[in-house]
Amino acid sequence: MSNKEFFINRYAQLGWEFEAVESRKAIRKNIMNIKGKNLEQRFNSMGFHLQRIPFLETGYWIEKSKISIGATTEYLLGFYSIQEAAAQIPATLFTELKGKTILDACAAPGGKTVQLADLMNNTGTVIALDVRRQRLFALSNHLERCRVANTVVYNLDARCISKLGIQFDKILLDVPCSGNFVTDQKWFEKRTLQDIQRNAKLQREILSEATKCVSIDGELVYSTCSLEPEENEINMDWATKNLNLEIEEIECPGQRGLSSVFGIKLDNSLERSRRLWPSETQGFFVCKLRKRAGGH
Amino acid sequence: MKPLTDFARQLSVSITFQPDLLFVKKNRYFLAKKDLQNFLQRDFYYAGTYLGKIKKEKFFPSLSFLSILSRKKANKIIVGKKTAWLFVCGRDVFRKGVKSFCGSHKQGDYTLVLNEYEECLGFGRILRNLTDKSARLAVKNILDLGDYLRRET
Repeated sequence: MSNKEFFINRYAQLGWEFEAVESRKAIRKNIMNIKGKNLEQRFNSMGFHLQRIPFLETGYWIEKSKISIGATTEYLLGFYSIQEAAAQIPATLFTELKGKTILDACAAPGGKTVQLADLMNNTGTVIALDVRRQRLFALSNHLERCRVANTVVYNLDARCISKLGIQFDKILLDVPCSGNFVTDQKWFEKRTLQDIQRNAKLQREILSEATKCVSIDGELVYSTCSLEPEENEINMDWATKNLNLEIEEIECPGQRGLSSVFGIKLDNSLERSRRLWPSETQGFFVCKLRKRAGGH
Repeated sequence: MKPLTDFARQLSVSITFQPDLLFVKKNRYFLAKKDLQNFLQRDFYYAGTYLGKIKKEKFFPSLSFLSILSRKKANKIIVGKKTAWLFVCGRDVFRKGVKSFCGSHKQGDYTLVLNEYEECLGFGRILRNLTDKSARLAVKNILDLGDYLRRET
């Protein structure tokens, strides 16, 4: 059995028939930067045809464009960011962000950090971390271009968050993951189950550390662009049983998370999470958790 | 603060910053509001608004700093659509592309370059008096928004 057949067979066991899907280009308007600007008219004059993404307030699919969406003055002025549709979901799941202290634990290249700052209207504070120093350049560049003013960036491993000595109101955990075949054409050739298990272990370590640093009743949003349950439902099941976290209901597109995986029964609350099989978006998983009193 | 105010003066801008809101990390200047300061530790990489850096004793402004200056009374030229795009692509400004200007128009002075929506695209040095309509080139490009793309390649 080839690697591809192996994974396709796994997806079938999870209830999804494989189909090749192409990623759709999407943008997100940065509301804080476009007040008083007639961006629609400017898009029209550049020959961009946009389609509103039904499940996002500020997201648009690019239907047609005469020029590169990443090479316009409006892009360079931070009026919008290029961000895949599913990747725009996690930051929108937090309740009331303005004035709060937020952690973006694995932040580079900064799409979600800028989105958080935008949702906060540049109030409060975002602490953005990334473990790889060379990725901080792209993150800072993104923040500067989009006129973000409420963010502090550290070169720090998300497994060492407590070194900062900060209790966060909310934490975004868009954790490093195995990715999926929509955004990586060679995905099936290079991924193995061992990679997935290694990533799942790293994700648990990050989750565990993040839970220590979120205040009681604070929110964590966990997301991956992986389709593999080890990195998604199985990790969330582990988190609810070991980290005093509970899964919250979310309003979000996608299929309800799986509460049974390869014959293993998981907590029923996993059905509150969402799994987006590739179709109009890339593959994605998102889950919102809340820290109960009595956790560590 | 002196490098910032000195640079601003070259654009005929009078600006002051509250000293307790300014932070210097190695050679880089940041403006961080009070909220952020509770979270600033010595080893931060980036904070608040990046204003520019010192390199070989010379101040290099950021595009954010230029944008702040452009909201004040300053040397400015407004350029047409095509000229604006060429400027963002790193080109100098031709006199015929200048729609209007304010502040200094003297050769050798710095000026901000704005598009027709009065959005700051960067800055440059005036090559020939802007009142001299026979001049071909008007402003030498020093920094433009396209730098965000060029610096990543």
